Amino acid sequence: MRKRSIALIVYFVLLFIPIYWMVITSLKTDNEILKELTFFPKEITFKHYMEIFTSEVWRNSFINSLTYVFLNVIMTLVAAIPGAYAFSRWNFRGSHHLFFWLLTNRMAPAAVFMIPFTELYYILHIYDTVWAVALAHCLINIPLAIWILEGFMSGIPREIDETAFIDGYSFPRFFRKIFLPLIGPGIGVTAFFCFTFSWVELILAQALTVTNAKPVVVTLTVGIGAEGVKWGLLAAAGFLTIIPGAVVVYFVRNYMAKGFALGRV
Amino acid sequence: MRGTLRLALLTALVAAALALPGTVFAEDAIDKWIDEFQPSAISKEEQRKELEWFKKAAEPYKGMEIKSVAEGITTHKWEADVLAKAFEEITGIKVTHDIIGEGAVVDRIQRQIQTRRPLYDIYVNDADMIGTHLRMDSALNLTEYMKGEGKGVTSPYLDLEDFLNPEFGQDYDGNQLQLPDQQFANLYWFRYDWFTDPEFKAEFKEKYGYELGVPVNWAAYEDIAEFFTGKTIDGQTVYGHMDYGKKSPSLGWRFTDAWLSIAGVGDKGLPNGLPVDEWGIRVENKIPRGATVERGGAANSPAAVYATTKYIEWMKKYAPPYAASMTWSEAGPTPARGNVAQRVFQYITWLSDPAFTDPESPVTDENGKPLWRVAPTPHGRYWEEGMKVGYQDAGSWTILKDSVTGDKRAAAWLWAQFCTSKSVCLKKFMVGRTPIRKSTVHSDYLAEREGDFGGIITFYKSPVEHMWTDSGPNVPHYPLLAEQWWKNVASAVTGEVTPQQAMDNLAETMDDIMGKLRMAKYSPELNPKKSREYWLNQPGSPKPERGPEEPKTMPYDEMIKAWKQ
Repeated sequence: MRKRSIALIVYFVLLFIPIYWMVITSLKTDNEILKELTFFPKEITFKHYMEIFTSEVWRNSFINSLTYVFLNVIMTLVAAIPGAYAFSRWNFRGSHHLFFWLLTNRMAPAAVFMIPFTELYYILHIYDTVWAVALAHCLINIPLAIWILEGFMSGIPREIDETAFIDGYSFPRFFRKIFLPLIGPGIGVTAFFCFTFSWVELILAQALTVTNAKPVVVTLTVGIGAEGVKWGLLAAAGFLTIIPGAVVVYFVRNYMAKGFALGRV
Repeated sequence: MRGTLRLALLTALVAAALALPGTVFAEDAIDKWIDEFQPSAISKEEQRKELEWFKKAAEPYKGMEIKSVAEGITTHKWEADVLAKAFEEITGIKVTHDIIGEGAVVDRIQRQIQTRRPLYDIYVNDADMIGTHLRMDSALNLTEYMKGEGKGVTSPYLDLEDFLNPEFGQDYDGNQLQLPDQQFANLYWFRYDWFTDPEFKAEFKEKYGYELGVPVNWAAYEDIAEFFTGKTIDGQTVYGHMDYGKKSPSLGWRFTDAWLSIAGVGDKGLPNGLPVDEWGIRVENKIPRGATVERGGAANSPAAVYATTKYIEWMKKYAPPYAASMTWSEAGPTPARGNVAQRVFQYITWLSDPAFTDPESPVTDENGKPLWRVAPTPHGRYWEEGMKVGYQDAGSWTILKDSVTGDKRAAAWLWAQFCTSKSVCLKKFMVGRTPIRKSTVHSDYLAEREGDFGGIITFYKSPVEHMWTDSGPNVPHYPLLAEQWWKNVASAVTGEVTPQQAMDNLAETMDDIMGKLRMAKYSPELNPKKSREYWLNQPGSPKPERGPEEPKTMPYDEMIKAWKQ
């Protein structure tokens, strides 16, 4: 037991080192970061955080990112829940092929879609809006969501559906009252995966926004320029960037393993 | 009738009431910003005249919104935070000056050219792209624009002659396609305090038989690197050289930013060698003809191989062990740690960083005055008088002509001129240390403070400054070709291939790409292959193998005197 505890502590310490390093770097002056290796800031400074909080660009970037991630998660779930139900419950011609084909979208590099999306969104007048990124991320998130949710849904016996219909439930009522609560954890974990992808994705987010909808991942790239790397600023922004993810992880932590196995545990 | 009269009177009164504060406000704005734009190279009265011209010229465009973009350096951040506000208050044109990564700027400019969708109204894009712009026919010809369509929005105070290097943004015919907004050179950096130490001087003289000083050529640089490497100074082991070698795109810049021409690969000619320039690409009648020696290029010539060999050899022998795993951005500030004696290739943008200027920095004295100096880049053994000596680039205003037209074009041009106007230039230099005007570097204000900048101002005032230039118009497609450099150089750094093989592969890849390029103007057409001997025996570049050179140094203080004459 004791050995196990020690091993766990060591494991967590190792996991924690990069985060600790990021936090202390964000509190050091640039001079200290470049000059020497210190394990604790000699002189604590909040100027990097101040730069982020007082800058309209940074503030808007965080808001933009959160907005399109939220929109994307909602759109993905709205499309993927019925889709996954169809794949899990009904066998139709080509359903297996179609189910596999969904994944091929994930195999194409995002860069492939840059030019077509730019054109399409320009025509639709949504270029450089949060909608453009939210929609573009659906291309990758919806297939993933269907795969995860299908796993969760297939884990629920069909008898439950049948019993509900015998009891006189209409399909929408059954779906809302019985089925959705049963796959609740699956929805949570799917939302988490979609959130994570959309939150960190750079290529499409960069290609589809200019100034109005610029996300935080793009603003972060400004820290690396012709004057070297703004380590302190990047560390502070990096730390702030992992907070929303950490909050989401906290809520779905119990279902993570199942999510990684696409629901099939 | 009475009602109508009353209405007319009332309207007139309201109009007057609205107009009056407007006028007062705009004049207040000019006064306010004149105070902000101090120090200035011109008098307040001259500033007022210039800013009033902007106000008047912008009247038809009042209320417009435009978008510009630049990479993330202090100069551009200041433009975004301060100048955009000033411009809006004075002219009524709202500007969003977007600051993004350098790579992202190149990516967006290419996408705007491809899709013809106006992502931005104007770009600050490196003048290294000039060869691409002129061949893709993508940039607005500013010379023509200023004379014709844009006459009314071209400032009478623009004074192109006052720009330090307007030629960076010009095509082969001298048309201005891009207007410099900020520029920084790549100079030799060294520890003046160590180089003037009598003990080191005596020891060096005894060991190498000549004076320790600013190396004029690579042979001397190498001796100095060897001399300092491994010494213990101020309690730490020091190194005679600093560089970077990580397999990353920035490794390519190490080479494309004139390393080959410093070695002497190209032909004579300023700002760029013709017919062969620093990338080893031969151009005849504006048409790129090849990079391999077999086609008359020099990218795999003996000089290019020598440049690559020395780069790798020095990094392994004389640089700190971490250098090989660093990128350009990481290696930039490292000489400020105080354990490096010299750096052959230091971008001066870093030298305004607190790491180099803070009184607590190991490379400044107790008053914050630099213990380091900058001097001309030493050149390799293939270099000849009349060739460029080093690299400097100008981030330059560029309007893409197909996607930005009419009023947007006019407003964008006004904004570009505002950011480069004499009214703001000296202040901009004090913030970002990236001068573009002669009037800035020759100003009385900087004359009094010349010593604070470790020789940077002296360099910009010197008669040799124009010998530091950008990539030039010979490179037909900068983004596509630049990408090939780091991949090939990296394989030589790791020892997978020899420098000769690496440069052969690179030159062949460049030829292959150029052979496939179909560009709007002056598209590459490869020369037929001939033997290496044929080309190496022709005068000029590609040059045949040369033997070792005599190391040569010069005392820094004498060099400075020569610069000041």
